[in-house]
Formats: sequence, structure tokens, C-alpha cells
Amino acid sequence: MMLKKIWIIFIRDIRVNTREFMTLYMMIIPLILAVGINFLSPGINDTSVNFALVENENLKQAAYFDDFAHVELFSDKQRVEDRVMARDDVVGILPKDNGYYIMTQGNEPESVLEYAKLLNVLYESDVQLEDASSEIIEFGRTVPPLKKMLVNMLLLLISMLAGMLIAMNIVEEKMDNTVSAINVTPTSRSAFILGKSLTGMVIALVSSIACLLITGFYNVNLGQAALVVFSSTILSLMIGFIQGINSDDVMEAAGSVKLMFLPMAGSIAGYEFVTGNWKIFFYWSPFYWAYRANDMILSKSGTWPQLIFFIGIILVICGAVYALLAPRIIKGLQ
Amino acid sequence: MKLLSSFKKELILASRGFYFYVELIFALVILAVLLFAIPQNFSSTSTEYLYFNLPQEGREIFTNNILKNDLDGESEIVEIEAGGKTFDAKLIVTDEEEIYIVDSEEAVRMLAETHRNIGAVIELNNNNQLHYKYYLQGYESTRLKNLISILQNESMDVLEERFNNQDVRPLSTGYEPLSDRENTIPPLIVFSGSLMGMFIMASYIFLDKKEGVIEAYAVTASSVWQYLMSKIFVVLLTSVVSGIIIIMPIMGFRINYGLLLLLLLTTGFFASSLGLLIASFYKNLTNAFGVIYLLLIIMMVPSIAYFIPGWDPFWIKIIPSYPLLQGFKEIILPNGDIAYPLIVSAGFLAVGIILFAITNIRFKKTLSV
Repeated sequence: MMLKKIWIIFIRDIRVNTREFMTLYMMIIPLILAVGINFLSPGINDTSVNFALVENENLKQAAYFDDFAHVELFSDKQRVEDRVMARDDVVGILPKDNGYYIMTQGNEPESVLEYAKLLNVLYESDVQLEDASSEIIEFGRTVPPLKKMLVNMLLLLISMLAGMLIAMNIVEEKMDNTVSAINVTPTSRSAFILGKSLTGMVIALVSSIACLLITGFYNVNLGQAALVVFSSTILSLMIGFIQGINSDDVMEAAGSVKLMFLPMAGSIAGYEFVTGNWKIFFYWSPFYWAYRANDMILSKSGTWPQLIFFIGIILVICGAVYALLAPRIIKGLQ
Repeated sequence: MKLLSSFKKELILASRGFYFYVELIFALVILAVLLFAIPQNFSSTSTEYLYFNLPQEGREIFTNNILKNDLDGESEIVEIEAGGKTFDAKLIVTDEEEIYIVDSEEAVRMLAETHRNIGAVIELNNNNQLHYKYYLQGYESTRLKNLISILQNESMDVLEERFNNQDVRPLSTGYEPLSDRENTIPPLIVFSGSLMGMFIMASYIFLDKKEGVIEAYAVTASSVWQYLMSKIFVVLLTSVVSGIIIIMPIMGFRINYGLLLLLLLTTGFFASSLGLLIASFYKNLTNAFGVIYLLLIIMMVPSIAYFIPGWDPFWIKIIPSYPLLQGFKEIILPNGDIAYPLIVSAGFLAVGIILFAITNIRFKKTLSV
């Protein structure tokens, strides 16, 4: 009976949301972003130093550099200089009496300058690619780390979007006074909560798996991924639900959304950029564990016990937050 | 006068609401993150695993050469795990690298594969010449692989000498780079302040739409543009206050606050007008959410280029947040270009005015229905 009521609320939610285009957005936005990641990552991965050369001045040199760097050709020295002075990092290689000199804007990172110097040295030393003496053995990995990071961020974003959907649903229900009306119907509050949560949960799961497939992660363990999405969505839903209950209008809900981004962005930055023992400061955040678990799945480097450990932490934190905020949820529904 | 009075009313209303304080708290949290969580400069060390499959003398020569750059001049004996095995290694830490020298090719291969770093084995070939074998992940770009494959073709000493004698001619001098902490400020300001104005402005309008405030303006002496502008002023005020909360404690009085104020106001005006325009097409925030969200994500893409030198495709530069990021960067840079933020401000002001005019016409039409 209870399950039937939850199902009815879920179906009603789907209908209402489809009518409002929100569900459609929630489904489409992550897919567009997944396509965007596919579009961006090859270019970023191929990042090298950018050279500006004078066209036809030395065809052999231009062809040589093209094997190691991005080369742009300009009709004369002045145009090379103009290009070097542009806002991005482009280094000019220009002829002088006895060779070539490197023209810089003066604000390039040290790494760009060193790369440019090294390439010019290799060219001047006549070190040819055909004479390459080193052997390269590859492990056959095709997904660059940046793409993995972007896909992981997208997975967290999807669960955040699910949370937002719930928050906005509830605000609108409150404004229409349907929340109060629930109290005089045979539907219990918990059935209402579960019914409202199902929409976001299903959307998050479907979108996440679709995004993994679009971005080429079809050989990861989708069951593991679904489990992480499920657990991180529980948190987002809880936050969304609490926001929805405590916000009287969309303005307040919008403000809360901004606050939600902070722990998520902080956790990602903490995992990716903080080294050593400083990571301990992010252990409180379930987003940190979700990101870490996703990273393990996307790298295909983890084991089930490790994954269950991470998910356990996420659920324990969620449980603690729920225990802390349950009175507010109950009050909000009255 | 009416505009001023509307603005005052909006300000009083905002000060009673939740949003105004969220903005200020958010700015304080960002400031705390910048001051305590983001180091002055990130340490960006890479890790390498090496095995010298050479006679003892050769091993010592290579090891001692690397050891010259060690931070304390001494290597450390460590244990490192990979693939369920533990390997003994000699760790040498330099400014830029952590180099683990191990005792077998298997160790290099397993460590490189497990920890996803580069590994190399240096050995002698049949002609008794040095032969380099690199272990790469596979996703490295062809250009990088090309470079790695020829790097050892010439003697390192010869390359180093020529490298140090390269003729580098900078077009401008006196450039002082920003620290990593300072460099993080522009993206945070752009997204926390300027661009979120779009989202917040739309939320404001939807709230008033729901409450029928906009229709009520049809029967007041005040015009719609004054009502819209008073809303924008509130968003601009919060954007300026939160921007200054973030920037001032870090940059002190080293930057031109007049320019900063100008850029915050003009870009905030642009984002708010865009938010208004979007709001004019939809009934409520839920409907408009997708468009606003997608726009915010698109606006975030230039921040990837901001942090990756060398990746700056043309299409990134036509996204409005690109000049926004560069404008804020130019303001906080020592000896930054003053003209650039001025041009960017003028551009955003002009586009903002056009968007505002279109929005005003759209809202007027809505009232006449």
C-alpha cells in the first residue's frame, strides 16, 4: 500500500516535471556536457607550446617544429610580434645573423619558455625524429587524466542537479500548499519524502550511466558507478529536501544552491590539488568520498571492498546529517 | 528620484531576506579558503621511476648526477607499493621531481602502470651504447611522445650547454607573475560575483512575477525600467561588497580599486541584464533553470584555458567570461595593462545596455497584455 503511494507520488512528479521541462533539462544538460567533454579533452590533451614563425622563411624548420609544437605562420616579423603580444602564450622563433632567436612577450610561464628553448636546441642540433633511439612502451590507456577529472565532476554535478530538482519541487509544492494538504491525506510523510526523492534518484542514475557511455567509459564497472551515484544522490536529495523545506520562496532556494556548490567544489579541489596529510581536512565531506570512489571506478583501479568502504563513509555521513536535521524536515512538513 | 526610492525599498527588502546574507557569507568563506586552504604557490612536482640496468660504475654516475639536484643532497631509502608488491627504492627529491630509483625493470613497469607516472629503464644495447626505454600510459599526446623519443639522441651535456646559450628576447620586461593564490582570485570573483548575478537576478524576477509585483507596476507612477534597474542595483551592490571582501585582504592596496569597481559594476550589469532577459521568456525559475544553468557552465569553460597555458583556442575567446577573467587578472597584476579592463568594461556596459533595453520592451509588452 505504502509502495503504491510512493509510486503514485513518483509518477505524478515525473508528469509535473515533464510538463515544466525541468526533468528534460536535468536529463539533457548532463548529456550536452558529456558531449562537450568529448569535444574539449583531445585539444587540451594535445596542449604543447605554441610557436609563431615567419611563413616560407624556413619550411624545413616549420615542418620540424610541427612534430613537437603547435605552429602558426605569419607573413612577416611584425605579424609574428603582434601574435606574441596577444593575451595567450605564443613564442616567436625568428631568424638572426647566425641562427634563430626566441621572441617572448615576457610574461610566459617558465615551463613554456623552457619547452621552446629545448625544441630550438634540438632543431639546431639536427636531432631528427627518424633517428629516434629511445623505445616507448605504452600501457594502452586512452583516457587522459583531465577527461577523467571532468567526467568525475560531471557525475557529482548530476547528483547536485537531482538535489536541486527536489528542492525546487518542494518549494513549488509549498507555494501551492500541497505539503500541508498531505497531512490530511492517507499518505504518510515518509511516503511523500520517498516519492519526491525517486524522481531525482532515477534521473541521476539514468543520466550518469548515459554520460559514462557518451564519454567512452563503457568498459568501467557500471554497477559500481551506479552505486556511487546512488549514494551521493542520497546526500544531494537530503540537502535539496532540507533546502526545499526551509526555503519559503525560489529566491531562498536559489541562494542555498550556491552554498551547496562550495563543499562540492572544495572536495574536488582537495582531492586533486591538496597533497599529503592535508587531505584529512576534506574527510568530513561526502562529496570528497564520492569523488574518490568515482576516480577509482573511472581508473579501473579499485576493488569492491574499497568501494564499499567509501560508500559506507558516504552513507554514515548522510545518516549523521539526517539525524541532525530530521526534526527540521518533520517540522517543515507540518 | 523614483529610481533612488525604489532602490532604497529594494535594499531594505533584500536586507530582510536570506539571499543578501548568503552572498556575504559566501564571500567570507571564499576568502577563508583563499587564505587558509590555497597555498601561496602550488607545489607541482612530477614523479618518475628509474632503473639503471648498467654496471655499478654507470649506475653511480647516473645516480650522482641526479643527486646533485636533491633538496638536501641525500637520497632516502623508501618502500613503495604497486600491484600488491613492495619495492625498495632510493628517493631523490628535487624542486620539480620525485625520482624513485629501483632495482628492476619489473618494478619500473609495475610502479608506472599502477601510479600512472612515467618510468624509464636505461641499459646498454648490443653495441654497448646507452639505450632508453620509456614506460608511458598511452594517453600522452603524439607531440609529447615525439619529444621523449628523441630527447636522448644527443648528449645531455651538449644539449644543456646549447640550452643555456639560447638567445631569448622578451618584448616587455618588468613582468611580475602572480602567486598561485592571487591567480585563483579572478575565476572566483567572476563566478561568485559577476556571473551568479544572472542567476540571482532571474530568481528575483520570478519571485516578483509569482507575487504579481510586475503587473502591479502597471497601475503605479513608477516605470518598469526603474523597477528593473533598482533590482539590478541591489545585485550590483552585493557583487561589489562580496568582491571587495574577497580581494582586499589578499591584494591590500596594491591594485587600482577604481578599475576593479568599474569592472565589477559593468560586468555585474551585463550579467544581471542577461538574467532579466532570460527571465522575460519564462514563467518561473524551474522553466528557466536549464538555460541559466547551461549558460553558467559555458561561461565556466574559459577558466580551463585560464589555468592551462598553451591551450587557448579561438572559440574560447568569444565566450564573454574570457575577457572578464583576463580583465580581472590585468587589474590584480603588478604593472597590469590599464587599457584592457577599460575596454572590457566599455564592451560589457554597451552589451548590458542593449540587453536591458530589449528586456524593458519585453516586460512592457507583458504588462500590456
